[in-house]
Parts: sequence; C-alpha cells; structure tokens
Amino acid sequence: MSMSQGQGRNRHGLIRSPQNLAAGLSLLFLAGLALWLTRDLPQGRLSAMGPGMLPDWLAYGVGLCGLALLAAAFLKDGEPLEAWSLRGPFFVVLAILAFAVTIRPFSLGPVNLPGLGMIVAGPLAIVIGGYAAPEARFRQLLVLALGLTPFCMVLFGDLLNLPIPIFPQSLAGLLPDTWSQKTILRGLAAILVAAAVLVHLSGGRRKTGPIDVATQPEEV
Amino acid sequence: MGDLVSNLSLGFSVALSLQNLVLAFLGCLVGTLIGVLPGVGPIATIAMLLPITFGFDPTGALIMLAGIYYGAQYGGSTTAILVNIPGEATSVVTTLDGHQMARQGRAGVALGIAAIGSFFAGTVATIVIAALGAPLTRLALVFGPAEYFSLMVMGLVFAVVLARGSILKAVAMILVGVLLSTVGTDLETGQERMTLGLQFLSDGIDFAVLAMGVFGIAEILRNLDHTETRDVVRQAIGRLLPNRDDFRQSYKPVLRGTFIGAVLGILPGNGAVLGPFASYTVEKKLAKDPSRFGRGAIEGVAGPESANNAGAQTSFIPLLTLGIPPNAVMALMVGAMTIHGIVPGPQVMTRNPDLFWGMIASMWVGNLMLLVINLPLVGMWVRLLKVPYHLMFPAILMFCCIGIYSINSLPTDVMFIAFFGLVGYLLIKFGFEPAPMLLGFVLGKLLEENLRRALILSRGSLGTFVDRPVSAGLLLVAVALLVVALLPTIRKGRDEVFTE
Repeated sequence: MSMSQGQGRNRHGLIRSPQNLAAGLSLLFLAGLALWLTRDLPQGRLSAMGPGMLPDWLAYGVGLCGLALLAAAFLKDGEPLEAWSLRGPFFVVLAILAFAVTIRPFSLGPVNLPGLGMIVAGPLAIVIGGYAAPEARFRQLLVLALGLTPFCMVLFGDLLNLPIPIFPQSLAGLLPDTWSQKTILRGLAAILVAAAVLVHLSGGRRKTGPIDVATQPEEV
Repeated sequence: MGDLVSNLSLGFSVALSLQNLVLAFLGCLVGTLIGVLPGVGPIATIAMLLPITFGFDPTGALIMLAGIYYGAQYGGSTTAILVNIPGEATSVVTTLDGHQMARQGRAGVALGIAAIGSFFAGTVATIVIAALGAPLTRLALVFGPAEYFSLMVMGLVFAVVLARGSILKAVAMILVGVLLSTVGTDLETGQERMTLGLQFLSDGIDFAVLAMGVFGIAEILRNLDHTETRDVVRQAIGRLLPNRDDFRQSYKPVLRGTFIGAVLGILPGNGAVLGPFASYTVEKKLAKDPSRFGRGAIEGVAGPESANNAGAQTSFIPLLTLGIPPNAVMALMVGAMTIHGIVPGPQVMTRNPDLFWGMIASMWVGNLMLLVINLPLVGMWVRLLKVPYHLMFPAILMFCCIGIYSINSLPTDVMFIAFFGLVGYLLIKFGFEPAPMLLGFVLGKLLEENLRRALILSRGSLGTFVDRPVSAGLLLVAVALLVVALLPTIRKGRDEVFTE
C-alpha cells in the first residue's frame, strides 16, 4: 500500500492497527461476496426497484467501510489482534454438529445416521462441548449430561409436548406395544437420573477450590 | 385520563388472571436467574426459551418473555453489588459504588435501595408506557412508507451513535445486518437473492438462529477466552432497609435516574444500557463531593439502578406503538409475536387490546414480584454464583441446541448457530459490536419494504423523503445526530461516559 510509505518513524511497523486491518479485509470480502452473488439479479429503476438494487448498494456501503478501516489500519494506531484459542471454537462447533446430526435421521452422501433423539444428542453436546474448557473432567461432564438430559426430556417432551425426537424410534419397537411414548420417555428419564446419581456417588469426594466465572456479558 | 384508567383496569384484569400471574412470576424468576449468572445474556435466553412459550396463549407468552427481560435487568445488580461482577451489561455501573458499599458491610442497603429505586422506576415507566401508548399509536397510523423509512433510518443512526467503540465499525455492522436481511426470496419479484442455491436459505436467515449464534454461542466462545478464577465472597449482607439518611440522599437520584432511563430507553439502539451510564455521570456532576463516588456513594447505586429498570420498560414503547423494535431483545419479542400470529405495529392496540394493556399491567405486577424475588432470596442467588462456568456453559450449549431445533425442527438451524457463533466470535475479535448488526437485520426487511413502496408512490423520486415534513424532520434529526457524534470534542465525552 503506497499510503503507508511515509510511516517510517512509526515504531509499530507498517501496520499500526492489526485489528482494523483484519476488520477491513473481512468487510471487503463480504462486500465482494455479496456483489458476486447478486451479479445476475436485475437492478430495476428507482420507481420499480429490482431485487438486486438494495443488496448492491449495501454491499458498496460495506465495502467503503472496509476500505476506510483498511486505511485507518495504516494511518492510526489501534488495537492489536487479541489472542486466539482454537480449543474453544473446535469443541463447541463439534458439539453443536454432533447434536444436529444425531437428533433426527441424517444422511450426507454415504453417511447415514439413524435419528437417536435427545437422549443421545443432549449428552453428546454436553460432553463434547465441555471439553472446550481446559478444566473439563469426563466424570463431571457425564454427571451433568445424565442429570440435565432427563430434565430437558421431561420439560420439552412431556410437559410442553414439543415435537422434538426424544429417543431412537427403533427402541419403541423393542418394547411392548402397550407402552406409550410418554411412558417410555419417563422410564428413560428415570434411568438417566439414577445413572447420574450412581456416577456422581462413585466419584468420591472432590475438593472445593476457587471457582471460575465468566466476565460480564457484552452490551446487549 | 378516563381512557387511561379504563385501559389500565382492562390490563389489570388480564394481568391478574391466575395463569398470567404464574407466567409473569416464572418470567421474573428465570430473568433474575439470568441476570445473576454472568455469561448468559437475555437475548440468548429469550431465543432459547421461545419454544417453551409455544403452548401458551400470545398474551401469556409475551408476559413471560417480558418478565425475563426486565427480571434480568433487576437480577444483574445482585451480583454487581455482592461479587463485583455485573451479571448483565446494564449493571456495569452498579459495581463501582455498589460493591464498595458491600465491602463496607452495607450490601443489604445497596441491594435495598437498588430494589426500591427499580420498583419506583418500573412503576413510573409503566404509567409512561400506558400514557404514551395511545397518542403514539394514533401518530403511527398517519405514517406513510416514506415516514416509516425515515423513522427507521433515524433509529439506526441512534444505534450507531449510542453504540460503544468505533462509529465506523458500528455503521459497517448496521449495513451488514441489513445486507443479511436481504438474503432469501425477494418479496416483490419472487427471485432468490444470495441463497447460494440452498433451499433452507430461500426463506431468509432465521432471526432466532442469527441471534442465538451471535449472542449465545459467540458469547460462550468469548467467555472461554476470558474465564478467570475468583472466590465468591461471603460477607454479611446486613440490614436490607435503608435508613432515613439513605433515603434523603437517594430520593433525588432515583427521580433523576428514572427520568433519564425512561427517556433513553425509548431511543432505539441500546434500550436500557445507556441510561445507567448517563445517570451515574449526572449524579457525579451534581454531587457536592464527587470524590465519594467509587467509594460507596449510595447515589451511585440509586440513580443507575432506577435508570436501567426504567429504560428496560420504556424500550417496549417503539415496539408496541410503532411496530419497530428498538433493540435486539425487542426484535426477539417481534419474533415471539409473529410466531403467535400477531403482527406487531399500531394495530396491536386496537385489535388485541387485552394483549396490549395486559402486557403493560403485567410489567407493574412483575416489578412488585421482583421485590419479593430479589430481596429475601438474595442468599439463594449468591449460592448460584458458585456454579463454575466450565459446568455452566455445556448446559447453555445444550439448551441452545434444543431451543433452536424445536422452533423449526430443522437440523440445519442447529448447524447454523455454530456458523453464526464462529462469525460472532470473529466479529468480537475484530472489534465489531454484534448488537447493531442484529438491529440492522431486524429492521432490514421493513426498511426495504417501505423504501420500495415510498419510491413506487413517488414514481422513483428520492425527493419524497425530504418533501414530506415528518419524514424530512426525522431525517434531519438523524443527520444532526451523526454530525454531532462525529465531532471530536463530543466523541471524547462519549468515550468518557463509557470508560467511566
């Protein structure tokens, strides 16, 4: 960039605000993407705007903001980029995907998963997601999963009657026909709670140490 | 005046029905829980709990969701005072003097004055909403598309000016938000826009999915970078009732805080967040001895706490009267109303008077309940703070997944919250605020619809926005605000307010 050449005495080097550089580049990328995606849409006239007109204006606006941020990155001192962690995003995304593909039958290409329902998807999300924090302990997460899942099963499936798969449908076939869906649900919930208590009790005593808390939430 | 009384009595007859009382109570309870727990925002919570309200009638559902919202404002002060962690963004200021009071053994008084101030502010705000509801609704009915467009532009400019951090980045976020709202099938021509040929995008991006990703999941990711170890302090809370001296010192701040909060709450963009900051600044300026602030001045708790509660309630005004959500939480209320088959806007008051007035009356009822929930149960809320975050967030994660799945029964929605969570995480890392983006997204469809309609009516002349006096006035306010915000001296003042 030619505009940065006069900045020789700047002790931070060429880029004076890495955060703004990244922000500007991402806006430019977004604007470019939007313009490319709307390239075939008719623009129309002001008296009869076509579907492409507003998105294109907005994309130009976003692009301009991106350019301004890019310029600012070279001209003004600003924030550095914060440190990244890969562990958090990796496990959280993995947990959500695990939930999404197991909650109901899923197939992608050669992969076919039977719908396993909340009884599998819930604990998967908790245990996998839990590893996003370095303090993760398998036994603790298992107790949490076994305790919270029946609570959600009863709340969403039994009390609120939401159409959310609770347990694998193949399971219903194995059990006597006289058992209603709700009976199976309650039975399974009870089993999970019992399992949670067992796992918790078998864990022995834990010491209570200091507690980690989140910082305050961002502005809402 | 007679109207007001008869409307309010209709409202109370709805709000005091057993079912609605229970729902208001549940909402306040859950809201307080969220306010107390740091790391869970009201947006993500309302999105998570939307499905739970599917089974109720619309009035009950909205009463509960509203309770969650103002309950969260209320509960945030408890942790701010006792543990120096603001449970909610609006109680950041309360940590300054509230926690100092707690360290001096006056935690109970701080909690007490916060609760009393909030209750007073809530009562006044309820009356303000009731009084402004009818005239504003009448005004809204004479609005044409040009006026609506200009009103929304003004709202978005407010959001930019009131956002924290860089104005340029806030503008960019608004534009990105509006751009995201154009994804999906074009309403007039039926052509698909930016859907990448994906079928689940043809209806556009779901608001709840975007909100849950950007506020729920991204918040978890951000918190995972920032968790710190802290011992939960267990000090004597002391007596709860402030004495006569405390009252003498705080009744004026409560009055001023209520006024400031109520006015700022109506402004689009940040609902209740700016009120406490402004109130704190005012009290510090007016104080005889400003150096007491930050060392346990009761005025520094009374004013801001009243302001945040007043703001939380008056931010319902634009939604209920004009159909325009002023912030992201209100946008979710739009989502909730739509799911229950109610089109938000000026017609709500005439078509669903029991919903409109019932909700308003329930706010006062809810405020009364919050007094009960907060003061005697303080000990219980403090115990909740001992739940470590590394066990709390997996639970939030699962609730998010279940919540979003049960809205549309689409696994793709669940996957999308992961995607938007990553996007939100990146945005925060790059110094962008997600709130203006969400607001732009929410207003985007309305904005485009009214822009196109206004231009069709004027046969393509952009002059229509300045020729019509109301529209011109609104745009003028928007331009003036933007200019003022960009002036360096005032910008400095604005930053000071936020860094205080």
